Amino acid sequence: MIGHILHINHVCKNFGGNVAVSDISFSVDEKQIFGLIGPNGAGKTTLFNCITGFYPVTSGTIIFDNKKINNLRPDQVCHLGMARTWQRVKPLGSLTVLENVMIGAFSVTNVTREAEEIAIEQLASVGLSDYAAKFAGSLPIGLKKKLELARVLATRPKMLLLDEICGGLNHTETDGILTIIREVRNKGATIVFIEHDMKAVTSICDSIVVLNSGEKLAEGRPEEITKNPEVIAAYLGGGQNAND
Amino acid sequence: MKQSAIIVIIAAVAALLPLMTGENPYVLGVMISVLMMAALSSAWNILGGYAGQYSFGHAAYFGAGAYTTMILISTFNVNPLVSMAAGIIIACIIALITGSIVFRLRGHYFGLASIAVAEIVRLSVLNVDFSGGAQGILLSDLSLWGLDLNSKNPFYYGMLIVLVVTLGITLYLRRSKTGFYLQAIREDQDAAASLGINLSFYKNKALLISAALTSVLGSLYALYIRFIDTSAVLDLRLSIEIILTAIIGGVGTLWGPVLGAVLLVPLAEMLRSNVIGETLVKHGIVSETSGLGLFLKDNLAHAHVLVYGIITVLCILFLPKGILGLFRRTK
Repeated sequence: MIGHILHINHVCKNFGGNVAVSDISFSVDEKQIFGLIGPNGAGKTTLFNCITGFYPVTSGTIIFDNKKINNLRPDQVCHLGMARTWQRVKPLGSLTVLENVMIGAFSVTNVTREAEEIAIEQLASVGLSDYAAKFAGSLPIGLKKKLELARVLATRPKMLLLDEICGGLNHTETDGILTIIREVRNKGATIVFIEHDMKAVTSICDSIVVLNSGEKLAEGRPEEITKNPEVIAAYLGGGQNAND
Repeated sequence: MKQSAIIVIIAAVAALLPLMTGENPYVLGVMISVLMMAALSSAWNILGGYAGQYSFGHAAYFGAGAYTTMILISTFNVNPLVSMAAGIIIACIIALITGSIVFRLRGHYFGLASIAVAEIVRLSVLNVDFSGGAQGILLSDLSLWGLDLNSKNPFYYGMLIVLVVTLGITLYLRRSKTGFYLQAIREDQDAAASLGINLSFYKNKALLISAALTSVLGSLYALYIRFIDTSAVLDLRLSIEIILTAIIGGVGTLWGPVLGAVLLVPLAEMLRSNVIGETLVKHGIVSETSGLGLFLKDNLAHAHVLVYGIITVLCILFLPKGILGLFRRTK
């Protein structure tokens, strides 16, 4: 158990008769960058929603930092030190970029001035300082993704769940985000990372779990995963099953 | 200029206004209505404008204040200020019951439930004995610490004080954690929850603040008119008027509701008393015997609600973000 920050134990999630996530188990080590990959509809985002309290699990347990978090609300999960970003970015559109990040910072302080200081610092760390006074809704997608990242980082998370943070970005933007993620890890946070971009995943992840149709298909180091024939068949574009 | 300084200046000007209008009780009455609607709409704005939770039943909290005050004074002769405090408690209880149930749901449920609660309150009050039922409650002479409460002046300043307090609270909230959280909830509830915001706690907090302020205004109104019945203080029309004032002025802005009240209340009053039609006829611009003259003189006064409605629709069509929305910063 020592060194593991997140345990997923036999987690199932059904929507009526549809099984979205079926009996998934894995553990994430502290300070790891952990990849969660799989074709569309594999259950990655559903699993994220279960972990972060947006969906109740049908069965199984989720243990974060030695606490069972199955039945907690999203805000309680956040206060335990787990923060997430969204596949479809959710900027608080009519607030400024700075105010967006301040909202995140308010989970560690009650004082507006301190929240502002944290936010300014966090914006600088992702390179968004020039946009602080802009409305979040007016940013292009690349900067909105950076804003999502700055906003969750301001909650000072122990663990960061990133849902396709590189989706829709060009190579330069992706590299920028990956650099920030490495820095965050080096400062001591653990990162779980849903991604489609295999290059991004294999270059940055220490360990990977592959999901397919709600089930765990494989688990291992990036170089093992890329050689696994089942994974290649399901995900990397081999044969009939390449439905991505 | 700082917003707080603007509030102080405008309040000071408003405090001097009754001295200028002199003894005209009609004008003073209209000004009291303006202040009351400005304060009501500002209180609604904390919940509807900042937290994005549209209440269509604020008359329930207004009525809670008005009825609690009137019942306590007419039956037990309690101090008016004590009765006001009791009104706040009743309003907050109604708010807590509504909020704790409905705020668990997303979407338009709160709006729908707020109408239902307001109607439940209205029908209950109409059908029990101690509230006077359909007859309402009438109060004879009233005084507080030697202050004659039968005149209008104390209520002008009472309403002004509540308005300033409401604007002050709004301004304070806007700069505090709670205010930022409310706006985050308005913008995106999922994002807000994932950033550590307890959605139902903060929505309830906004509702309680809003309901308490609305209740105080209800108490003041009851003491001012000294007669209430359900159609005066618990009607759906009142709830709608509060929202319209905020929408036309500018939802989610500090000054929008005030601007809305300053424009709409006198407009409604002018339409009701048919000032426009009579002025046109009096100055010979429109002949009294012409068709238009007859229409203005006889029909327009009866159609004031229609005209008010048309103006409202035009405002919503062409100024969807309210009048202040036109001047919103865009970056």
